[in-house]
Amino acid sequence: MTSQVDPIDASILHRRLKSITEEMGLTLLRTTRSPILNEARDFVTGLYDAQGQMLEQTEYIPVLAFALQPACEHIVNYFGDDIHDGDVILHNDVFSGGNQNNDVAVFRPVFRDGRLAAWAACKGHQADIGGAQAGGYNPEAREVWQEALRITPIKVYERGQIRRDVWRLIFANIRYSIVEDDIKAQIGATRVGERGLLEVFRQFDDTAFGACIDYLFDASERMVRREIAAIADGTYLGESFAFYDGVNDGSRMKINLAVTVSGDEVTFDFTGSSPQTPGFVNAPYSATASALLLTFLMLINPDVPHNAGILRPIRIINPEGSFLNARFPAATTFGNSITGPISDAIFRAFAQALPKMVTAGWNRMMGFTVTGFDSRHARPYVDILFLALKGGSGATFGADGYNHIGLINCAGGILAQDYEMFEIHDPHRLVRHEYAVDSAGAGRWRGGLGVETEFVMDGENVTGIAFGDGIEEEARAFGLFGGKAGSINALAIDFPNGATRRPKAKEIIRGIPRGATFRQSAGGGGGYGEPYERPESLVHAEVLDGVLGVRAAREDYGVVIDPITLALDISATQQLRSRS
Amino acid sequence: MGYRIGIDVGGTFTDYLMLSPDGGTRVHKVLSSPADSSEAVLQGLAELAATERLSLLKFLGAVDIIVHGTTVTTNAVLTGHIARTGMLTTKGFRDALEMRRGVREAFYDNKFKAPSPLVPRRLRLPVGGRIDYQGREVEPLALQDIELAIAQLQTAKVEAVAISFMHAYANPAHEEVAAELVARRMPDAYLSVSNRVLPQVRFYERTSTTVLNAVVGPILRRYVENLRRRLSQSGFDGVLRIMQSNGGVTSPEAVAALAASTLLSGPAAAPTAGLAALQPHNEDSFITVDMGGTSFDAAMVVGGAPSITTAGFVNRFALALPSMEIITVGAGGGSIAWIDDGLLRMGPQSAGADPGPACYGRGGKVPTCSDASLVLGYLSPSFFAGGRITLDVPAALQAIKDCVSEPLGLDPVRAAFGMYQVMNVNMASAIREISVQKGWDPRRFPLICAGGAGGVHAAMIARELGIRRILVPREAAIFCASGMLRTDLKHDFVRSYTSVLSETTTDLKYVGSLVEAMTDEANDVLNSEGIDRVHRRFVHTVDLRYLGQYHEVSVETSAAQLHAGAWHEIREAFHNRHDQLYGYALRGERSEVEMVSVRLTALGATDKPPLTHEPRCQADAAHAYKGRRKVFQPTARDFAETPVYDGDLLRNGNQLEGPAIVEKVTTTILIPAGFTLAVDSFGGCVLEDRLTEVLA
Repeated sequence: MTSQVDPIDASILHRRLKSITEEMGLTLLRTTRSPILNEARDFVTGLYDAQGQMLEQTEYIPVLAFALQPACEHIVNYFGDDIHDGDVILHNDVFSGGNQNNDVAVFRPVFRDGRLAAWAACKGHQADIGGAQAGGYNPEAREVWQEALRITPIKVYERGQIRRDVWRLIFANIRYSIVEDDIKAQIGATRVGERGLLEVFRQFDDTAFGACIDYLFDASERMVRREIAAIADGTYLGESFAFYDGVNDGSRMKINLAVTVSGDEVTFDFTGSSPQTPGFVNAPYSATASALLLTFLMLINPDVPHNAGILRPIRIINPEGSFLNARFPAATTFGNSITGPISDAIFRAFAQALPKMVTAGWNRMMGFTVTGFDSRHARPYVDILFLALKGGSGATFGADGYNHIGLINCAGGILAQDYEMFEIHDPHRLVRHEYAVDSAGAGRWRGGLGVETEFVMDGENVTGIAFGDGIEEEARAFGLFGGKAGSINALAIDFPNGATRRPKAKEIIRGIPRGATFRQSAGGGGGYGEPYERPESLVHAEVLDGVLGVRAAREDYGVVIDPITLALDISATQQLRSRS
Repeated sequence: MGYRIGIDVGGTFTDYLMLSPDGGTRVHKVLSSPADSSEAVLQGLAELAATERLSLLKFLGAVDIIVHGTTVTTNAVLTGHIARTGMLTTKGFRDALEMRRGVREAFYDNKFKAPSPLVPRRLRLPVGGRIDYQGREVEPLALQDIELAIAQLQTAKVEAVAISFMHAYANPAHEEVAAELVARRMPDAYLSVSNRVLPQVRFYERTSTTVLNAVVGPILRRYVENLRRRLSQSGFDGVLRIMQSNGGVTSPEAVAALAASTLLSGPAAAPTAGLAALQPHNEDSFITVDMGGTSFDAAMVVGGAPSITTAGFVNRFALALPSMEIITVGAGGGSIAWIDDGLLRMGPQSAGADPGPACYGRGGKVPTCSDASLVLGYLSPSFFAGGRITLDVPAALQAIKDCVSEPLGLDPVRAAFGMYQVMNVNMASAIREISVQKGWDPRRFPLICAGGAGGVHAAMIARELGIRRILVPREAAIFCASGMLRTDLKHDFVRSYTSVLSETTTDLKYVGSLVEAMTDEANDVLNSEGIDRVHRRFVHTVDLRYLGQYHEVSVETSAAQLHAGAWHEIREAFHNRHDQLYGYALRGERSEVEMVSVRLTALGATDKPPLTHEPRCQADAAHAYKGRRKVFQPTARDFAETPVYDGDLLRNGNQLEGPAIVEKVTTTILIPAGFTLAVDSFGGCVLEDRLTEVLA
């Protein structure tokens, strides 16, 4: 069948579909109000076929790479033949395909000649979704109802008519009116998607469209299969740990991963991973699948068209009841943040099979959200402090890690705040935001540099919510093939009375007084390869640039540099390096 | 009245538009000379002199004005051949430039590298002392840090010094002290100080802009001095103006002080050229595109006003000086076709000028967009560039066979047409981006299609977008050079002041003082450029946002409103603009409006050459008929014998119906079946799509 397809028609259809998802994204960027959407770009737009299979998608941060398809499939099954032209359906429920409570999806069915032909959809992180804690990150949550309003799904428009009662009920349970505006913006984006699809339908009849789509699925599938086939058959084991469940001190959760490559197919088996936790350190199935997919895309040709064909050669075994696929009614808001540990396990597993594609460990995210009252303007303020949490990425063959990139979930898609705007927005005065010296894991290719942040807090009634990982010694970004680990995450608040408080990785700190100083060190990424093999000129340059100390240059790299003149001592270096 | 000449230096060609004293125009092109682009500039002028049967000395003596667009700064940054630069910055923040706020443009590519910083960390030197967001000193300036830094920069033999301190837009005192010390101790260094370059809030953007200015400053200064010397040695004593990224021109002196204002100037004259080209049609809203050898530029003009952005990038570093909002994508005649697991892709790699497309016969083996156009019969093998270059059809066919049709199992003509289609889809999506992002429906605008390669694609790009009318201007091949002669002097000023906009929260006197300071500065520059008062026009805008939003919206106001504190009127204008751009406004209860910056754009009207309309002729175009050849018809998807017309013989009022080909020396236009072509009074070709419905 697909042999009848004109490959050029398929190429053009691919470009058109991509262009539609991008146009939907542009619409969201200019119509949403929350900075999480229009600044941090925490959203995804996509088109799906009548069965909910991904036709094309544009994710603005990688962790949403697989965030819509499971929910779309669920909706298709749930509503069956009760889907009509003009319907608009909302969904966020993590126990029926959702990936995070705050990520609310809008689905719009698109019809051709009275038959359901496709879906236009988008999903964005909402500023609030109800639950006990504004904004949703609640380390004290023990079950889903303390985190969010569950939308399991629901129609907010039926045959083009808004269901006012339903609409009211939803937004009566959400704190900020901005969320209502942003959902309207998302609905608008799906209309843009529908318009684009209808245009495509005029140019591709039903048969041609279906055939081209199959061709595109097959093309992506072939690309992925070829990449997998190049990997030696076998079972590869990778394990890693997430630390502290927010309830039991010293707790750690194991990710047990067995990757089996067989011909041109690959199975990811998480059997044996730790059971779900009592707190919010749990991932819904979709969050784990997204983490897996984004890491896998980093290991293959990243230009493969993002459609359901990618998934065909991939099998995921993720038994229910573990903290990677938590059973109802677990709290799960921390789930996306388990991406770091999951990626670690995947990179470790593939280290032997794809040594030139894997990276060493990435710095784990350590988030700290601040809320309080800004007496300068007599108004409340809230800040997720993106600028403080961006550590380094892991080094890879042929490239140092990326400095100050932040969590792997976003892979450089989230911007640090501008310093001056930060001081205007928040009653905080920045003292420092610079690369952390000696933070990069040493290696032939070094890890990305971490960052030190320090500011004085001058808000009233300030509460801080720590939600993260990587402050435990073992959670440093690991090195590979002789490369060393990156520096650790550290968090401290110096109180005006001289006391210092070091928050746990998940903890609510209430009553932070004015004049307290916040200090965070976001760690560096892990190094790759033997540090002694790193050219001494590169080591010397980093000492001259002040991101590597003379002592670390000597101890880690065997490069001898005069501490006063910073001159490179070539003969002493050769001597030292030849000794090992 | 003497000659006027627009000179646009591009990567491959240097373009000229010359207006003669008798009102005639001449288009000229020479190959660029990348090592020293003034070489080619002078060579082209010598050739123009020859066409006028004058010696270069005599000819240049008769030239009143030269408007010059240069990419010397852009190329310096792109190739890394920049001036050795040092930087003084607030202690604790020396990495802001290199961090670029922590963005990695390629999510899944772990070997993707950050651009190397414009100033290495060892030359980014920290200086103690701190101003807060309200401009108050919270820590005195550490003079000893400056002394130490100057000594280091002297040892490092830097050519330029950038100074950027926190909140210098709110209080420049610390920066000015440092600048004075540096100027005194390093008198030869090019000095770039953030509060002078761009006194605007946002530390990274201001710092990056200031540093970009420093790293290209010495280069541009040298280039302009050299050009001026060579021109005056050759007899030129007229006025020299330099094109800026903001779409205006300026004097050589002013541009040397703000070298970064040329960084995005390459395509910046296109909107002005478009406005002039549309004059016979009484329209001032349009989309303009320019398709050259390697890149495709798209811009939008609404109500005579081109979109301006302060979010520009050069080699991935932020450039926050106002510039024309132009999208550039890698799509041009030289774009290379490649196969990615059964899918055909075009570009962004380009075969460039050397070896160029396979059909150039210079050894190129990869199939390009131009090769496809040749195989499809859109280009003539014997009349490319008026016959100066003979195109090699078998070579084009072979390249397409080897790299596209055989891997895909298609016949070569189908493959060539596929390449043509994919190009059109790619260009259409760039147009969609520039229009839709700003809330405009592209179908409601005419499309001006310029550039040597534009005419072959114009009709089918328009159909892809549902655009009904297309104009291929007479000067399509040297479009920017033609716009340069019509631009005004233009200078942008900004001051940041963050305040909720209201009678109680906004300091009226302070706002007034900011406006006054900008006005004084503007008058100084225009005085130096010899523009008298009646030819000056000042446009005031305010950058506003709803409290808590991240992005600002610029709203036009007036000096009178700002001095009077007409906040209510300004807020209303903001609500309206916001509604227009983003589809909603929050009047009343819900959100306060916050002011972030005040801006002044100072325009000095230049004397424009008159636009002369050709007399109208009859519709019949038979006199321009050249013959027929086989041309692949995009709708019928087959070759058909198609009439070919000599575009240089077409006159105002002549009409044609597709399918047809119009060939000019500098460009070729495809008129597919269903389209008509009519020549306007400026010699532009207006294509109309009879098959695309008119929007209600």
